[in-house]
Amino acid sequence: MSHDFRVVNTESKSPDTDADELLAIRCQLGERAAFDALIARWHEPLWRYLRRLANNDDVAGDLSQDTWVRVLRGIGSLREPAKLRPWLFGIARRVAMDRLRFEYVRRGAEDIELEELPADDSTQDLEADLAAIDSALAGLPITEREMLTLFYLRELSLAEIAALLVVPLGTVKSRLHRARRELRHTLETRGAIT
Amino acid sequence: MNTPTNMHAGSLEDIRRLAQGELSIRARIGYVSLLMVAAAMTAVVLSLWLTEPSLPARTQAAFCVMSLIGCAWVSFALWALGARRPLFARDAVVAGTMAVVFTSVFVAGAIGAVIVSGAAAAFGVLATGVGMLAIAVGRLIIARRRFAALAARREELQRSVGRS
Repeated sequence: MSHDFRVVNTESKSPDTDADELLAIRCQLGERAAFDALIARWHEPLWRYLRRLANNDDVAGDLSQDTWVRVLRGIGSLREPAKLRPWLFGIARRVAMDRLRFEYVRRGAEDIELEELPADDSTQDLEADLAAIDSALAGLPITEREMLTLFYLRELSLAEIAALLVVPLGTVKSRLHRARRELRHTLETRGAIT
Repeated sequence: MNTPTNMHAGSLEDIRRLAQGELSIRARIGYVSLLMVAAAMTAVVLSLWLTEPSLPARTQAAFCVMSLIGCAWVSFALWALGARRPLFARDAVVAGTMAVVFTSVFVAGAIGAVIVSGAAAAFGVLATGVGMLAIAVGRLIIARRRFAALAARREELQRSVGRS
């Protein structure tokens, strides 16, 4: 099995941007049906992102609820509706980081990471290659895991990720490069790719 | 890969239920009503307290406490509308209209009180009512402009999305 980790999305405007902006504006207007559409469209991607950060279904569920409370209370004042996607993932990320800080304080541990939270053993992967990537991703440090998730699975552009993480574009590129290298190394070590 | 099923907190159904509570129009209207009633009550009590020259100390203390309670309710309603149940553009137009109607009635009542009694307190209530009416009209104008701007952008995007 071979995997191609080339850069697949660019800085150009996503074709979904107009649809995202339209959805955000309908929500800002107060159309209740738009909120149903927003939840239907973004619940699963956000949940998967949070699941990737937390490595645990139940924790991801809690984080998802907290994220949606902030989304529903904050979307009315979203200044740039065209940036709905990075705004949503930015909120999810802050919720996850708040949880990390809370756990750090609660446990008093020095080296706690989100991936140290109890692992969920209910994973039922559908395909072997997805399972291999999933497993390899879960083993990566949180920074690399988040980078790959945002770029490949959530399809945010490099500029959107830079804005979301509040880091320079060059840092995003170098982190992404390192994350791809580490994922490839992990997969090679496990014999998933040759 | 796992999916957010109903077995876990944060499932699609959980989030939909959560949204129903968060988006409740009844709660928003409730906070707007609370804000207006508390503001009106505080205005009346404050006017009485500040304009009546020879109130007993006990009555003054009671007015002071009632004013503080009114201010607390106003603050709570403003906080709730800002942080917990922010008004969307359509809600803001409804709330602005409600506020204009309510404060107009309040001002009419104050004018009646001025005509009938001519008391200093009635003038105080009238002045406060006019101020509240001005704020309500201003908020309604801003809300209608924002709604119109968002609606225009929505139409533009719908055409754009429809073409692609």
